Amino acid sequence: MSERRFSIGDRVTVRDATSLFHTRTQAFTRGKTGVVVEDRPPWVIPEDEAWGRDTEETGRVEPFYVVRYRQRDQWPGYTGADGDTLETEVSERWLEPA
Amino acid sequence: MRRRGIDLRSPVSNPPFDELQRKVLDLRPDPDTELAERLDSPYGIPNEFYAALRHVPHDVGGQPDGPVEYKEKEELDWELRTYVTCECLGWRGVWNSEERRRMENDLGATQYFGLPYYARWATTAARVLINKGLVTPDELSAKLDEVRARKAGES
Repeated sequence: MSERRFSIGDRVTVRDATSLFHTRTQAFTRGKTGVVVEDRPPWVIPEDEAWGRDTEETGRVEPFYVVRYRQRDQWPGYTGADGDTLETEVSERWLEPA
Repeated sequence: MRRRGIDLRSPVSNPPFDELQRKVLDLRPDPDTELAERLDSPYGIPNEFYAALRHVPHDVGGQPDGPVEYKEKEELDWELRTYVTCECLGWRGVWNSEERRRMENDLGATQYFGLPYYARWATTAARVLINKGLVTPDELSAKLDEVRARKAGES
């Protein structure tokens, strides 16, 4: 449970898994690669919480991570500064090593 | 917003039901477009169209959009009451915020974008109470009729 698959600084890619009915993993992040910049404590994944299975007994608990992406990698034809970034938070199941 | 001659912004006081229903029908795509055919319970659709239809309404990042006017707006009483009611339902273990957001998505795009923000909350609160057996639809209907009658008496 307390074991985390990723560490700060790891390059990760967001899985492009099929979403049904609800998701907290934004469409624009799917298949995109970024860097883990922050650890967030383990908690029930939204895929369970959204259906009322919101305790450690009823829902699946996973570590969460904040992932930072380059804006340039997110949006085709991005015209802002090269160093512009964007962060999202996801549970571990959505990430793969890049 | 103006669609086929009906100004959706104009406040209509106590409009007749058929006029409102015409406005709802007017939310459908223009009948001359391919989209209208696709949104009329077609026999089959391409996978790409299924993916677009399945996309959850609250996931708006990166969607095409236009400029939005910035407005300062105070919460109205009914909005705050709705907020507090929904939070109390969470506090008493009826639901959680993520469940509410999922249920708002479940309203479907027409209601999701057609209802005011806190009306989405109120609608899903009613739904979760019925769904979990805490009130019955007829109890809720009776209460709504009671409030309507009281409001009619006030005006």
